[in-house]
Amino acid sequence: MRKVQMSAYTLEDMPLMEDLHEGDYDVAIVGAGLSALSLLHSGGTALGRTVVLDYQEQVGGLLRYLLPADGFGTEWELLRDFQLPAGVRLLLQTTAVGLLPANDAEPTHTLVVRQRQGTTQLRARQVVIACGGVERPREHDAIPGTRPAGVMTPVLALQLLAQGYLPGRRALVYGDSRYALATARRLAEAGLEVITAAPASGNGRSVRLCGTLEEICGFPRLTAVRLLCDQQSVEVEVDTLIYATGLLAGTHWLKGSGVALTAAGAIAVDAHYRTNIAGIYAIGTVVRPGLDHEDSVRMGKEVAALLPGGVS
Amino acid sequence: MEMTSIDLDVDILVIGGGVVGCAILRELARYDASIALLEQYPDVCEGTSKANSAIVHTGFDARPGTLEARLLAEARQLWPEVIARLHIPYLQTGALMVALNEQEQATIAREIVPKAAANGITLQPLSRAEILEAAPYVNERIVGGVLVEGEGVIDPFWTTRAYCEHALLNGAQLFLGERVNAIEVGPRRLRVHTENGRTFSAALVVNAAGLWADEVARLAGDHSFKLTPRKGEFLITEEDHGVAQIILPVPSEVSKGILVTPIVFGGVLLGPTAEDVSDKRDLATTTAGQQRIREGVGRLVPAMTTVSTVRQFAGLRAVSSTGDYIIRPSTVSERLLHVAGIRSTGLSASPAIGHYVGTLVGETLGLRLRTSYREALPEPLSEAAHEDGEVVCLCRSITRGEILAALRSTLPPQTLDGLKRRTGAMLGECQGNLCLPRLIALFQQELGRDPLSLEKHAPGSRLLVERLTHLGSVPAHRCERSKRGQ
Repeated sequence: MRKVQMSAYTLEDMPLMEDLHEGDYDVAIVGAGLSALSLLHSGGTALGRTVVLDYQEQVGGLLRYLLPADGFGTEWELLRDFQLPAGVRLLLQTTAVGLLPANDAEPTHTLVVRQRQGTTQLRARQVVIACGGVERPREHDAIPGTRPAGVMTPVLALQLLAQGYLPGRRALVYGDSRYALATARRLAEAGLEVITAAPASGNGRSVRLCGTLEEICGFPRLTAVRLLCDQQSVEVEVDTLIYATGLLAGTHWLKGSGVALTAAGAIAVDAHYRTNIAGIYAIGTVVRPGLDHEDSVRMGKEVAALLPGGVS
Repeated sequence: MEMTSIDLDVDILVIGGGVVGCAILRELARYDASIALLEQYPDVCEGTSKANSAIVHTGFDARPGTLEARLLAEARQLWPEVIARLHIPYLQTGALMVALNEQEQATIAREIVPKAAANGITLQPLSRAEILEAAPYVNERIVGGVLVEGEGVIDPFWTTRAYCEHALLNGAQLFLGERVNAIEVGPRRLRVHTENGRTFSAALVVNAAGLWADEVARLAGDHSFKLTPRKGEFLITEEDHGVAQIILPVPSEVSKGILVTPIVFGGVLLGPTAEDVSDKRDLATTTAGQQRIREGVGRLVPAMTTVSTVRQFAGLRAVSSTGDYIIRPSTVSERLLHVAGIRSTGLSASPAIGHYVGTLVGETLGLRLRTSYREALPEPLSEAAHEDGEVVCLCRSITRGEILAALRSTLPPQTLDGLKRRTGAMLGECQGNLCLPRLIALFQQELGRDPLSLEKHAPGSRLLVERLTHLGSVPAHRCERSKRGQ
């Protein structure tokens, strides 16, 4: 049995709403996942008056539902040993829903945030968008078939396990990222029969079935999925599909902000993680949804070196 | 089955909690009579009513002289009051029917415009330039078209729920998860049995079972009509490309064609396809169907060919063997009234169907209007009135307060899809994969629902199979809230 000890920042750390109006911050970081933690770890007190906000109840982003896990040592250490630098305010269960960049009348950037007490605003000289993204569901890729119970992405399966529930008995995990395969191992440990599958790829990680997901079958509960393997249609009987093909950049809340996006919907940044708007940076999944977690950690470190004083 | 004990005795029983059944229930609630509705699914609006274009249609293209055309015309008069009294989100967008070639342009002039005139609707002819000015996203290759001013979009779930809530407010009773499996026809009363072993007795039964209305009729020994399902696939995109009107192709014999429809809450709905199928439960989407939608909408609004999609779904509409609405007493008893074959216009005609059937039943049973009828639903809470602003659904910024309000409403959700349709949570990019555990916890907290019993939509669609017995193998980093809640 693993004993888990994690720096737990919870609601108690959250100030009352009026505290948010105390004045401008030097840096506001949207998101407290790996890239943000890495930024805080490297930047420390040199960042100045800093505020970090996150939708979740704890720091660590989506990956915290998986950790600790084999092969994720660096990420786990960052999360486990994380200390909030002095002077940095952490606001949990606080979600950015809009961004109003600085203009002639208003020299600081404004974040519109929602939390239990209501909607409020935060002002900061520099903003680092490190909000990551959400997992791509089967709907995003328009996988044909029925809409039964039992189809989910890893973050749902891992959360259900963490709450003490089995999401199914026989699962097909579709995807061959480190994260997908670690999720498969976790499900197997919990007692599910697990089959891994993915289209043939050159990443060196092996799955049990090489094939492309063609159809989702069964109703009201999933009964099978169909894969195209070597031009042959193979039906695999499972009651659970873990659709683990990657992430979508979480940029929906930036609509109308003027922050430029790439054709794929991620935030467009230059080599120094600068967006098209001066003083607004972006790192991690939100700039490259396909990246591995290690890259998020690296980006956080790199942007930390750029931030104090500001390169903008 | 115990055939003699009666679980509920009412004057009127409605079978079917779709938009039609609920509209009828609402009108019946005006009378001094006891009324109840049986719905096979755990929520209202689960059949044809849930998967359609969500258009409040004027009926400009209905076949003149049919009951359908008449009720659509009456519904046009009734909608403004229904929308106001029941506070239903509605947008009068208007619809543009666009012709892609001279032949289609001729069809509009020769068939569409006169038919609309016969239905009491004047269509406004528009030149190519006028259309492209009003709707620059439309295909530049069009040659012209017409504007149907009165068309609009609505939330079908909200509409169905509002009808039902209004009926409940006026004393109606609702039984969810009751699938009818036998009907005994007596001289003065009918007995309706359900799979759960319940028996309902009524002086009059309204058969508004949608796609299953022919099967309900058969349970009573009436084989007078048959309904076949026609599947329509849709896809939803959040990339609207400025689409602000309903864009219609010139229709074919089989279908009104594949449309581009703004959604009342934002985003655009593309579809439907029209495919006759045999299975009344076949709601699967297909590669071919999705492809056909892309091709179809591409002719109207080229940018829609390549948009990203957040969701796809399919609906089944009831095609009747008669070609018109079937609203008449059954062949076996005057006390069984069929309201069937409502095709794809049920949502649009629902206020008039409700009124028509309500009046018919009132006259048949000689009912008086009740004195204490409440004409409107209370105002829904404004967003600011929800006391808890914490965001639960990240993709859609739906707050905990909004979720709690839905769970505490007159007609609370019984399923996760029910919660989705009441709040918009889980409808964003991640389709609920991130916030679903939080929603399960709120279901448990507010309604005392054991997470293991929670279903996605239909009976048998449970999400969780059992509690983990060997928690030791799973890291125990549960969220703080659930720890406190225990």
